[in-house]
Amino acid sequence: MTLSDVGEARVNGYLFVLQRSLKTFLPADAVRDAVREIESHLRDRIAAVDASPNERDAVERILAELGPPLRVAQAYSAERTIEEAVTTGRVVPILRAVWQLAVSTVVGFFVALLLVIGYVTGLAFVAIGALKPIFPDNVGIQFVNGFPVGLGAHFPLDAGVDLRGGYWVIPIALVCGLGILVGTQRGARKYLAWWRNRRVS
Amino acid sequence: MSHETWQEQLRRGTLDLAILLSVSSGPRYGLAIIQHLEAFTDLVVAEGTIYPILGRLTREGLLDATWVEGEAAHPRKYYALTRLGTRRLAEMAAAWRDYVKKIDRLMAASERAR
Repeated sequence: MTLSDVGEARVNGYLFVLQRSLKTFLPADAVRDAVREIESHLRDRIAAVDASPNERDAVERILAELGPPLRVAQAYSAERTIEEAVTTGRVVPILRAVWQLAVSTVVGFFVALLLVIGYVTGLAFVAIGALKPIFPDNVGIQFVNGFPVGLGAHFPLDAGVDLRGGYWVIPIALVCGLGILVGTQRGARKYLAWWRNRRVS
Repeated sequence: MSHETWQEQLRRGTLDLAILLSVSSGPRYGLAIIQHLEAFTDLVVAEGTIYPILGRLTREGLLDATWVEGEAAHPRKYYALTRLGTRRLAEMAAAWRDYVKKIDRLMAASERAR
């Protein structure tokens, strides 16, 4: 079947949406290659099909068999981004995969929120440990009226706030911070491994 | 676990083996692999999801991908088993046969006991 302008526009529209979806998580050369391969698939299917009863139905059937472009993009994401994150365990691929799932699924969004809280908390503890030797009078446990109200750094220290805690804060903050960071990282990797195993293929 | 979930997991678990088997007799392009799978199995649910798997198998070094121009009106990407892929396919096929034999034995024992 040779496509009319309308049919061509439908196929090009499909490829455009696929390309836009893939661009969010794949390098440019991988996007080009993937779109080229999907286009090759479509051209083969179109060439082999009969245009009856009408071209529009035939094109829609071919596109439906291929799957919606977002679903195809999601399958690429599952195979590439998540695979890389789980197998390497490196921070950047893990963050990229978590972000990818956060913007594409509801569960992914809430898990990403929990992971962000974990990473921020861990980094905050590490920052406390690092800042204590530089600002010994501004970093520690803050007490108001004898009650502990927070742990951290205050610049300047508010009136009525009593800052306690000597240099022992450093090892405790560093151990807690690194522990939380490692725990969050392991949690993220386990979550991605779970996601990979239930991926749609 | 529902019957559908179990079947879906089984399908996903065997898709890599099925794709490697499809190219074991010689290089094939994506659509030809899909058509081969469709002729013998019902493993392909959405055609577009086969391509990312082919990409992963290529990155893992099990398949070699080459664009061929001039054969059709448009270029086609052919996949062929690499040496590593051939070795892995032999291991997977042996493991699969062994697995099926064990489950068959288990089912036979269960039927005898009934």
